Amino acid sequence: MMDAGRHPRIKLLTYSEIEEISGFVGNFHVKVRQKARYVLAGDCTACGECEKVCPIVVPDEYQQGFSSRRAIYIPFPQAVPSAYILDSRNCLGNNPLACGKCLEACDKKCIDYDMRDEMLEFNVGTVIVATGMDVYDPSEYDEYGYRSFQNVITSMEFERLICAGGPTGGHFVRPTDRKSPKSVAFIQCVGSRSTNGRGNPYCSNICCMNTVKDTLLLHDHYPDVQCKVFYLDIRAFGKGFEDLYRRSKEAGVQYIRGLPGEVTEHPETGNLVLTVENTLAGRIERHEAEMVVLSVGVIPRQDSEVVHKLLTLSRTSDGFFLEAHPKLKPVDAPTQGVYFAGCAESPKDIKDSVTQAGAAAARASILLNAGKVRIEAITSSLDEELCNFCNRCARVCPFHAITFGDKKLALYPRIIEAACMGCGTCSAECPTDTISMRHFSDAQITAQIDALLASNPQEKILTFACNWCSYAGGDNAGISRLQYPPSVRLIRTMCSGRVDEDFILHGFKLGAPIILISGCHFADCHYINAVTWTQQRVEKLWTKLDKLGIRPERLQLEWISAAEGAKFARVMRELEELRKQVTKEEIAETVKVLARDTKPKITRKQVDAVVEL
Amino acid sequence: MDRASVNFAFRKKLNQVLGGEHHNYCYQCAACVASCPAARYATDFNPRMIMQMALYGFGERLTGQDSPIWLCTNCYTCYERCPQDVRPVEVIIALKNMAAQQGTAPESVIKYAEAVLETGRTTPVTAVVDRRRQELGLEPLQKMPIEEIRRLTEE
Repeated sequence: MMDAGRHPRIKLLTYSEIEEISGFVGNFHVKVRQKARYVLAGDCTACGECEKVCPIVVPDEYQQGFSSRRAIYIPFPQAVPSAYILDSRNCLGNNPLACGKCLEACDKKCIDYDMRDEMLEFNVGTVIVATGMDVYDPSEYDEYGYRSFQNVITSMEFERLICAGGPTGGHFVRPTDRKSPKSVAFIQCVGSRSTNGRGNPYCSNICCMNTVKDTLLLHDHYPDVQCKVFYLDIRAFGKGFEDLYRRSKEAGVQYIRGLPGEVTEHPETGNLVLTVENTLAGRIERHEAEMVVLSVGVIPRQDSEVVHKLLTLSRTSDGFFLEAHPKLKPVDAPTQGVYFAGCAESPKDIKDSVTQAGAAAARASILLNAGKVRIEAITSSLDEELCNFCNRCARVCPFHAITFGDKKLALYPRIIEAACMGCGTCSAECPTDTISMRHFSDAQITAQIDALLASNPQEKILTFACNWCSYAGGDNAGISRLQYPPSVRLIRTMCSGRVDEDFILHGFKLGAPIILISGCHFADCHYINAVTWTQQRVEKLWTKLDKLGIRPERLQLEWISAAEGAKFARVMRELEELRKQVTKEEIAETVKVLARDTKPKITRKQVDAVVEL
Repeated sequence: MDRASVNFAFRKKLNQVLGGEHHNYCYQCAACVASCPAARYATDFNPRMIMQMALYGFGERLTGQDSPIWLCTNCYTCYERCPQDVRPVEVIIALKNMAAQQGTAPESVIKYAEAVLETGRTTPVTAVVDRRRQELGLEPLQKMPIEEIRRLTEE
């Protein structure tokens, strides 16, 4: 942090919040609110005279509330810039009757009570999201008594108590009597690996090794402290982790497999009793400890919603940001020019965070050094002749790559090709076929449908599969040598969002018995939320088919991921069963209905053009 | 314990009676055992072991004579605290139903069930009960709507 602050080419904006990000890769425009710190950071020498005279005392957030700070303070010793900050919510202000003491005490007169928030605006080429994580609050686990018993603390609080810079100067004492405990119990997986509504379903990655480290720290400081760790599995998977685990066991730490059911407090001594089944011994045991540390998990930042909206990112069901590809693009966001580092993307330890940060910086500098960005050729293009200014394209674009048009100003929607990722949702949604997708044009896909249904269409299952998940799922089925009916015919699109209503009707018109649209699961969509448009479109189509007298079951929608080869094969087998139920008469009837119902689309503009001629 | 000794037929039947497979996710953390008031007093009652036996399909031991499942008091603490939403108590209730159907439920339990059907109460109301209630200043017990209970159980 210090190095970054001193670096001539790094501009560090602390105590600031991003208000707005617009633009696209290479051309982001950022608006930042630099909050008023009421102290001129450049002049402050951090002499500390102001802090001595400040009459306000509030709990210190950095020390987890174990100690207090003043209304004028430095958040933590290594803070950059090393300058004081005035907490306006608690400060009494520069009223001579009320206070103003710090200004009197400050030799350099660098306190300014009238400072205002400053708005900064600048252009950047790339953005790295490193917004970190929050710590799980174990209050809802009432059986562990975090809110009832003072001697039950979280691993974060443990960290402050054992730290030389902490509230006790590194003397590990327990809150009730401020004596060093002789026995400490750790409970693992608090708020992690839980699917019953309390906590989170995922493994928080860092807590096992954090506890192992904590037991060793305790052992180093106080060799006679008895440590007991109650665990489910110790996940010591990283380099040197198993070694550290072994060292902890050698130091005499007891690892007991089983989660305690209850923690109770002895009313006089303040000691805690844990009831647990030692599953390896198969007996119920009671363990007394002078202190209990809950090894709490990691949760996404509570304000990640803001960043999510600013940059139109995707999040997994856990709430962490979703990368562009879990294996091949682990630091890239789905939006080009945006990268992730650290726990914003998933819970990870320091080493993994540093690794990812290095990768993100390298990925960003590749773009910046290139000067020009090479983008995929699969983008959409708009034919202004046909546009009727409905702006549907701009509304559905997951990447905000299409600007809104205005009929009165004769301003057509404009496609920012650098931001377009090529999902094709705009093209499928466009009611006048104004937008066409390069490499996946209407003509190309219609020609594929024609070819696939050219002979014996009643024996074919027409399937639209998205490039990233379902098509890869088909590949997976093939590689795994899974059997599925040979009647399946695949058409690849980049996203299931590309599948136009016209394609489906065209397919049915040519006599297709069953049509399947398949795409990624909602959380995996490579185009942020394009699958939601697929779903809406299919639901509308089902109603339309129903009205036309075509059984809606003949149009199927399935979410198949790249790893679900078995599901792909199963779905195809199920479709084959469905296909057999579709009779020749039914197909003939459909063809007749559609021939009558679908008129060729002619837009107002085309008519005008003909009239002019 | 080899794969061949797992009784899949019993597991299938249990899934049907239970109407789900949520107990398959049990990761043997023993939060149920440590929370269980019955397990604290009865050493041979262990919900974690019951879940494990259910997954191995040990039907005879679980639903046969002298099965440990009858020590469960249906307090639902395990249901509350299980991190994997295994709902041990529901599995035990399903096992109890299976045992009752094959006629291996303990006699005392059958007697309670019959008493509920006949009188609407598990324990018969005697003159002693009435007198004790009067001494404690409690209102006399009301009559149970036996007809309603019968109709409900018939459905």
